[in-house]
Amino acid sequence: MALWGMVIDLDRCTGCQACVMACKAENNVPAVGDKEAKKGRTISWMQVLTEKDEEHHEEKMRFIPRPCLQCDDPPCTKVCPVYATYRNPEGIVAQIYGRCIGCRFCMAACPYNAKFFNWYTYQKEQPGQNPDVSLRPKGVVEKCTFCHHRLQKARERAHAENREIQPGEYNTACADACPAQAIVFGDLSDPGSEVSKLARSPRAFKLQEELGTKPKVIYLTEGEGGG
Amino acid sequence: MENLHSPSDQLIRKLQWIWMIGFILLVLGIITWFIHLMRAALWLGDVPSAAIGIPLVAIPIFLALASVVFYVFWGLAVRGRGQ
Amino acid sequence: MVDHKDTHEDILLAPIAHTGLGFYWTVAGLSVFILWGAIAYSVQFYYGLGVTGLQQPVSWGFYVTNFVFFIGISHAGTLISAILRLSRAEWRRPITRMAEVITAMVLFIGAGQILVDLGRPDRIFNVIRHGRYQSPLLWDATSISAYLSASLTYLYLPMIPDIAILRDRLGKWKLFYSVLALGWTGTQAQQRVLNRAIAIMCVIVIPVAISVHSVVSFVFSMTLQPMWHSTIFGPYFVVGAIFSGIAALIVAMIIFRKAYGLEPYLKPIHFRYLGQLLLVMALLWFYFTFAEYLTGYYGAEPEEMKVFWSKFSGPFWPYFWAMVLCNLFIPLSCLVRLGRHTVGKVLAASLSIIVGMWLERFIIVIPTLSNPRLPFPQTAYAPTWVELGEFAGSLALFALFYLLFTKVFPIISIWEIREGREEGVKEVEERIKSYLPDEVKGTA
Repeated sequence: MALWGMVIDLDRCTGCQACVMACKAENNVPAVGDKEAKKGRTISWMQVLTEKDEEHHEEKMRFIPRPCLQCDDPPCTKVCPVYATYRNPEGIVAQIYGRCIGCRFCMAACPYNAKFFNWYTYQKEQPGQNPDVSLRPKGVVEKCTFCHHRLQKARERAHAENREIQPGEYNTACADACPAQAIVFGDLSDPGSEVSKLARSPRAFKLQEELGTKPKVIYLTEGEGGG
Repeated sequence: MENLHSPSDQLIRKLQWIWMIGFILLVLGIITWFIHLMRAALWLGDVPSAAIGIPLVAIPIFLALASVVFYVFWGLAVRGRGQ
Repeated sequence: MVDHKDTHEDILLAPIAHTGLGFYWTVAGLSVFILWGAIAYSVQFYYGLGVTGLQQPVSWGFYVTNFVFFIGISHAGTLISAILRLSRAEWRRPITRMAEVITAMVLFIGAGQILVDLGRPDRIFNVIRHGRYQSPLLWDATSISAYLSASLTYLYLPMIPDIAILRDRLGKWKLFYSVLALGWTGTQAQQRVLNRAIAIMCVIVIPVAISVHSVVSFVFSMTLQPMWHSTIFGPYFVVGAIFSGIAALIVAMIIFRKAYGLEPYLKPIHFRYLGQLLLVMALLWFYFTFAEYLTGYYGAEPEEMKVFWSKFSGPFWPYFWAMVLCNLFIPLSCLVRLGRHTVGKVLAASLSIIVGMWLERFIIVIPTLSNPRLPFPQTAYAPTWVELGEFAGSLALFALFYLLFTKVFPIISIWEIREGREEGVKEVEERIKSYLPDEVKGTA
């Protein structure tokens, strides 16, 4: 059974936000509009967080692309009252829009603020949307799904051709789009995959690891790291 | 002090039984709900400790409530009537 | 003696027998606020939660604060009434009914706040069909439905003899009262049944009540967020709930004392005792608050300190210090010496505490959400007219429910007052005698 994970190399990330735009286009993430954005309701499954560099305060910025970290012990799934969010066997934390009652408990529980809410009906069906991804109605929570629809397509193609999914056949939109190749996506349970090898690097660290969420998005720190 | 508008004893008794049975049905309904949730959680293998533990505490409370109300109903309206 | 009793009891039956102009004016006034709330909610139902001030990351705001606040007030009744009954405090007699009604009515309003807060209220049945017991919201649903059932039962049972009085004396709604009175005629056997049932209910209701606000606190403490994930939350919320509940009870008592002329029944001594209880709860609440904040401050964990300072000196400092003022300093100054102007002082303290406890809920919910762990851009939460309208409408609806109750059932327990006069005096005298050393059968 695969265990889908991601490694993001912070040394390579330039903060260009191509991953953000690719994610928006791929997943029909609505553009909430100027007024809503001012109120702080932008929906951005992949977000690039900025932090002033610790040593060089005014000179350097740290860019941290933050998708849903697809935790192996997710605090969000524990508190959902209706099974609208749960961790599937391949490690992806799923979000079922048709079940969600919009209580926003998962949003309050997520320590990474990776979940977003549809405060209005932000979009209707229009040409130019990705037909593989369902549009979210108002009043439900949504979040990054590691482009789960791409996994479904790859699995169906592989099944039709009577073979297994090849490494590289299922890749997230953000990993595809990054011009610096800072985002690497793959199967963490395969020790030979690129993602597994990078995850074992001495530069690897997990965001807020001490909380015990066991996130499957692993970051590589800038410089040489190692302690 | 019987006046023409005094409701008949039979009607009163019937209504009392109706609302008593209604209350019992409500409590049974709530208990059924707890059991349904427990079974769903066990079938999905989702945290059996909570799924069993909480109904284990909640169901006796509702049963106790229903028993107390029925005890009062029986003691006052059925047995103790106008002695 | 009989005449004196009857005149006083007529006061208790008067609101049910006659309806004055004051009632209609009050209902009209409350209806304005209820209408505001209804319009606010319809707008929200149609457009979505976007009409509120909620945003990323403050996705819980006014509604959740109100939820905790109203559920907190529900601890007034049943807990106070049950504890006073169990401890055989005779001064409880005019108070218990008022307290129990508060609980029963405010639980509906409190549960309603959660419904209002949902993004998809049309899917509320998902909680029934697909509920998950690992989620503290389901613990809430279970606990609150248990408390609602228990407190309605606990309200109804001691009311049966009074309903029988109404059935026999009032002249209107005879069928309604007859059905509810369960054939009560006051015989020995019936009294035994009722007393036993009430005693059992007293015992059931207390752990259920404590569980309610504990699980409400668990909604916050079961997350990993700074200044929420604290072990003190369970007892802290229960203490705060009892605190705000007593204050709400006092306000209700004073309002209806004035409106229905209940001065013979609700005497300054009752307010003095409640005021003393309120003072104790204020100090207890302060102790818990102090322990909570001292622990956070001493540990100096960076994420917790961010939230701590935002409450102490950051954007939330007006609400935090107003809360301390309203919950500690004003009540202390009012309640320490209750010699003269008892009712006035207790009223002032109670109103201050109600405001202060609402602020306390606000201070718990919003600052933690406003200070996420990861570096997000700063935002500020401010409620809109929708949230304010919903709050005003909820308060007005609660007041209306309470008012309507007093028009149908006596707000002070007639039979318990009678029992106090006929049996209570003797019983207390014997009880006190039993505490003292037995008299020596003398020599002469």
